[in-house]
Amino acid sequence: MAYSDKVIDHYNNPRNVGTLDKSSGQVGTGLVGAPECGDVMRLQIKVNPETQVIEDAKFKTFGCGSAIASSSLATEWVKGRTVDDALTIKNTDIVKELALPPVKIHCSVLAEDAIRAAIGDWKKKQGVTAPAAVEAVKG
Amino acid sequence: MHPVVPNPETLASQACWSCLREIEKAAHFCPHCSKLQPPADSDYFTFFGLQRRLNINLDALEKEFYSLSRKVHPDLYARASAEEQRWSTDQSSLLNDAYRTLRDPIARTEYLLELEGVKLEEQSRAATDAARAQGKEKQQVVPADLLEEVFELNMQLEEARMGKKMGERDEQVEKDLSTAKDRFEAMLASSTSDLHQLWKEWDQVIATGADAEDPLRIAVRDKMVALLNRRSYVRNLVRDVNEALAA
Ligand code: FES
Repeated sequence: MAYSDKVIDHYNNPRNVGTLDKSSGQVGTGLVGAPECGDVMRLQIKVNPETQVIEDAKFKTFGCGSAIASSSLATEWVKGRTVDDALTIKNTDIVKELALPPVKIHCSVLAEDAIRAAIGDWKKKQGVTAPAAVEAVKG
Repeated sequence: MHPVVPNPETLASQACWSCLREIEKAAHFCPHCSKLQPPADSDYFTFFGLQRRLNINLDALEKEFYSLSRKVHPDLYARASAEEQRWSTDQSSLLNDAYRTLRDPIARTEYLLELEGVKLEEQSRAATDAARAQGKEKQQVVPADLLEEVFELNMQLEEARMGKKMGERDEQVEKDLSTAKDRFEAMLASSTSDLHQLWKEWDQVIATGADAEDPLRIAVRDKMVALLNRRSYVRNLVRDVNEALAA
């Protein structure tokens, strides 16, 4: 199966590989796996407490080329967005951008899961009960 | 032994295309005129005249496979009609697929689960869609500490690989890896024996004639799905650790 140019680019030059300080209150960590293939992905975000904007994102993926490309792309996409805005990213957006074939859809699902899990972790740290100024979610 | 419950699939009958007499639906040959039949639209179990059970006699399966491969072999139909030639090719490839799937314990289990309506390839996406729609957090199908462990070990493996590339051999790393290897191989072995236990439960449920909606049947099915999900991580690790240690 041939990978698209975009996948190959992300695979050869993955953006934002690395680690953020897991114990920091500003950092959310998502660790997720794809049961279909047994691959794992960790995605971390660092959020500005005032603006709720994701200022930094890092990932580490042990998996196929599509999973690496999906998570690399995901970190690029979440950076500069507010947390709520980042929650609107869907795996189908990633599939489209990277031109993933049907058998590789689960790899993009992994990336969406990782974003959502990282944000969930960060929210937990903020004490979810305090309703942070909820912005209307842009569709 | 189990009482012999006939498989309703194989009982359904049809007519032989050549002599028009009645034959079993999944028959490969007409018992009356012995003509090759077009492949029936049936599952792999039915193809081999088996019930949907997970404990199967592999020796018998192998024998049947070889005997059938000889009988449906395209060489035998080189002078037959174009239709029969095509059927013999189709039957041969169906036979190969069916045999390859049923003889492998994991492939057989996965195949059965798909027949039972489980979409193994799509379960994760479906769960993500549901979580997104409800604004909830998706539940990972394996416990968080297993994921954590898998991730950590992958980090170690990567380090070990890099170290080796630079020509370094770290005794401690090697030791850790072989400890991890033993642990994960043990996990894989215990998942295999758990699976065999579930096969037994499954076959017992099927022997009672439970239909597709039977809660017991569904419960065993779901236990097998959970087991296979967990197993895929462990299997990868065993493979990767062995590779790293052998390198
Ligand atoms: S094959 Fe596992 S994430 Fe792509």
